[in-house]
Amino acid sequence: MDKMMKRTFSTLFALILIAASVSNVEAQQSDYDTIQDFRAEYQQLLESVERAASTDELNEIAASIDALESDYRGYADLINAAIYPDTYSSRIATLRSWHADAVEHYRSIEELNERVDELRSEVESFQADLAEMDARAVELRREIEESQANERRLSGLVREYRENLEARDEFVTDFLEDLLKRYEVLDAATADELAEAAERLEDNPVDLVKTILGEYINFTNEATGLNAYDYLRMSTQHAYFNDVWQRIGERLTQVFDADPVQSHQEVTDLLANWNAAIDNRIWGALDSAFAQNDISLDNFTDAGTFFNSLTSYIRAQTETAIDRNSEEDLEQYRNFSRFWNQTVKGEWGEYLMNGNILTYEQMSQIDSQLEEWNEAAVPVSNLMLILFLISVAVIIGLVVALVRKK
Amino acid sequence: MVKNYITTLFISAALMLSVAACGPSLVITDVNYTQPVESVVSPDADNVINDRRYAISFSITSILEEENIASTDEVRLIRNRSGYYFVTAAGFNHIYVFKPASGELELENKIELTTDGLGQPALNQRGDHIEVVDRATGQTYRVTEEGRS
Repeated sequence: MDKMMKRTFSTLFALILIAASVSNVEAQQSDYDTIQDFRAEYQQLLESVERAASTDELNEIAASIDALESDYRGYADLINAAIYPDTYSSRIATLRSWHADAVEHYRSIEELNERVDELRSEVESFQADLAEMDARAVELRREIEESQANERRLSGLVREYRENLEARDEFVTDFLEDLLKRYEVLDAATADELAEAAERLEDNPVDLVKTILGEYINFTNEATGLNAYDYLRMSTQHAYFNDVWQRIGERLTQVFDADPVQSHQEVTDLLANWNAAIDNRIWGALDSAFAQNDISLDNFTDAGTFFNSLTSYIRAQTETAIDRNSEEDLEQYRNFSRFWNQTVKGEWGEYLMNGNILTYEQMSQIDSQLEEWNEAAVPVSNLMLILFLISVAVIIGLVVALVRKK
Repeated sequence: MVKNYITTLFISAALMLSVAACGPSLVITDVNYTQPVESVVSPDADNVINDRRYAISFSITSILEEENIASTDEVRLIRNRSGYYFVTAAGFNHIYVFKPASGELELENKIELTTDGLGQPALNQRGDHIEVVDRATGQTYRVTEEGRS
């Protein structure tokens, strides 16, 4: 600030000197002094342009350039002769060019400052909103724990808790989308300028990303009353977060952190911790969801074993249906098919795919296996056999009747 | 006989002079030596001034002796359209007009401007004359190689 004021004062002083000497031009009687004055004022203006610390100062300098041009226009021939091969016009043009460059430079700095101010305001606002949501989520979790006896109240609290988490996810997604839009395509020069300006930010976007990830880990570890659907949604959110980080993480840390390598690693570690926290909950929740629908899967602890459990369950049920071919098998098939189509594919499908738990191909493969199970489970009908036997009996009867008639 | 001999001798001499007069000769006229702005140069320890822009160097010792001045900080010189150099300095009473020659400057005129010494002289090119301005007093003088005009 002192430096800026000092610059401002020195520029003003230079401009006053120029104004004073320009006013003496008319009274000047020595051509030599006129040339010297022009040279000095030109040099002072160049230095003023270089020292200018704001567009306001540059506006004052522009007026001084106009004054210089106007005051010495009558001496153009004299100046041209004295400063050959340079000319009066080329000197004025040089001043204007330097001035235009400086104006452009300060305009971009001021725009950058506005962007940083805007970013600071957004970060602060985001932090405040997030803190409010976090506080409400903690409160809801506490209330859920305290209301275990009252099922109706508990159900309402869990629903509100779930809605709070969903709103938080949407809020974070918007933030990440915004980051993507701003920093995915960022040219090197802007990144450098932004990095310089970003030093003034107390909390930069990378810090915010770390805070958000820390909160996600806490929420996942301490979550209460959530089911498979909630954890699948978390898994999707994690996959999206991870994708965004892969795309802009390096650029963000380079712009906003003094030690980008370490900062990048910290975020990567937090993402891994969050994934581990989700892993701790999601497989148990999925197993419970299947079990609640009378589907007993083999143990699974990751996406691969989950898919294997599903396929081996269907394969086993299909073999049983082939061997036994009973109504019970058909009912078992219908139960699984309903849960698979309505809940797993209908409600969880998007999250299963976005959360990298089941791929589209894996789900199609399970659909194909289900068709085989369906064929095996439908009991085989005896009607054709009965009709065949009746036909044979009729034919035999007719043959016997004909023989007797003869 | 003698008369014929003398006549032949004169004719031969006239022929020789005519042949000599037909040697290479080229004169460019209307040369403009105008220096648009005076040069202000400081003498070195040997009282030699060196105007790098117009590429002329000479000693001012003899001029200082003429003015009875031991030294001066700055000498001002300008050349008019005809090619004469006008030289003066603070404390001088005169402006000196020199005609350039081969390796020398010949004094063409020594024009008295004041008896009190010039305070802050300056020389301006004004086409048909040189304007001498004493910025200390505001006094101006018009001079040519022939004197004050």
